[in-house]
Amino acid sequence: MFDQDLSIVAALKGVSKRLGGNPVLSGLDLAVRAGEVTALLGPNGAGKTTSVGLLTGRIKPDAGRVTLFGLDPSRSASRARMGVMLQAAGLPDVLTVEELVTLQSGYYRDPRPVAETLAIAGLADLARRRCAALSGGQARRVQYAMAICGRPDLLVLDEPTGAMDRESRHALWATVREAANDGAAVLLTSHDLAEADALADRVLVMERGQILADDTPAAIRALVGGSTIRCRTVLSPANVLALPGAHRAEASGAEMLIVTGNAVATVGALIAADAALADLRVADASLEDAITGLLQGERRIAA
Amino acid sequence: MSALTMNAAAPRSGVWRRECLAEIRMAWRLPQFLLPTVLTPAAFYGLFTIAIAQTPSPAMAAASLAGYGVFAAIGPALFGFGAGVAMEREQGRIELKRVSPLPPGAFVAGKLCAALSTTAAALALIYALAVFAGVRLAPEQWILLAAVHLGSTVPHALIGLGIGMRMGGKGAVASANGLFLGSAVIGGLWIPSAYLPHWMQGLGQATPAFHLGQLARGVVGADTIGQSWVHGAVIAVITVAAAVWARTGWRRSPA
Repeated sequence: MFDQDLSIVAALKGVSKRLGGNPVLSGLDLAVRAGEVTALLGPNGAGKTTSVGLLTGRIKPDAGRVTLFGLDPSRSASRARMGVMLQAAGLPDVLTVEELVTLQSGYYRDPRPVAETLAIAGLADLARRRCAALSGGQARRVQYAMAICGRPDLLVLDEPTGAMDRESRHALWATVREAANDGAAVLLTSHDLAEADALADRVLVMERGQILADDTPAAIRALVGGSTIRCRTVLSPANVLALPGAHRAEASGAEMLIVTGNAVATVGALIAADAALADLRVADASLEDAITGLLQGERRIAA
Repeated sequence: MSALTMNAAAPRSGVWRRECLAEIRMAWRLPQFLLPTVLTPAAFYGLFTIAIAQTPSPAMAAASLAGYGVFAAIGPALFGFGAGVAMEREQGRIELKRVSPLPPGAFVAGKLCAALSTTAAALALIYALAVFAGVRLAPEQWILLAAVHLGSTVPHALIGLGIGMRMGGKGAVASANGLFLGSAVIGGLWIPSAYLPHWMQGLGQATPAFHLGQLARGVVGADTIGQSWVHGAVIAVITVAAAVWARTGWRRSPA
């Protein structure tokens, strides 16, 4: 069934992996499709980087099957169609940005012109600078350039924008979106849920080596019921949970965060119950709220 | 699909050459690596052979040149591969190369070219000093000597690669240093093996440095221990074993 879906570029099927005696992945199924940005989200230790290592052929599974373009991922034929930005990778200090990107482009059969790659990654002004003299965010952009220079059919981005400023981050998002629109498959891991929300067509929420949810960002946001309310109130979380519609209440400092399936009913009851209510704000539940809710639900079940 | 895949798998022409040029460029832009590896052998040769002996006989200067040339080669090989690869691995640079379509052979060849280029510079300096000290060899002797000296890079590069793929940066620097200095002493590169204590000489025979040094001494016409074909065979065996060791390190390394 899986095999017949021609849009699947990379897949893990029933993959288990132990590292240092601990199970990291257990029976994981995961597919990355052409023309889609797939975001892999989850807390540290959920197995995101291990999944990326398996898909890029750097780690072998203990059980299950990994395919990349229908082949074993360690084959050079599959690597030739993939561009990778690792979570933590240094650059050779003494090469200039242009020399490094030119070298990397030469590994691929039909690379973009170097000037074009540099322009896409926002590096045109830094072409002659040595890598040692780059800031953290600039170095990430060089790694992004190295990932896209070969016109890959699969672009793997492991925590791409961590060290970037707002402007570079948004510029990078636009180019990732463009790559997906041109038909590339993009696998993105991130801690930044705003990034996943802005970029992803599909979100996979991972915890302890398993997929908790696999859906569009909008559908995952809807899982928690739609709206969040923030306010200052004298009520306790337990009082708030008793209000109509409310299904989560969390006090942080003086502020209360409420997740509700019916914002109008909850706000009405809140105002009636607390005359001193202040700083009331209502918003759509963010992806972060949704995923926090999902993970908490999972932990409760596990406990 | 399969035709496309095959096509994409074919390495782009010139990738080996470009990797070698890039690695050479990187090595020559690192003065803190380049200066010690190029100057130390020449300084030691000048100091211990020419300056201390004041006016050494050309035969003695030539015999000494045989050992110092091997010494000049094993430094860049052990440090460039051992310490260099370990540090690049810690930085994630090796992993990035390994998920790229660069053939692993081209990666090794690039590093080997860099080691050979710095070794060649170090050799040029000590050969010049030797000529200055009165060493006169036939052209074919110079060529053979340079071949043995440059060839000394290969087994030591593979040993270094094995270290670099298994150890962290600090451990690899310490191991490379130990092997470098240990080989120079017990392998008879500084003081001819014939003058070493018996146990040291025996221990030294386990090092590729000893056998390479004896081959080089044979080329310049100095007295040797053992026969050339035995040295050649031992070097071949050590090189193959080192290649297997480096390869398993490369395969098993998680990054």
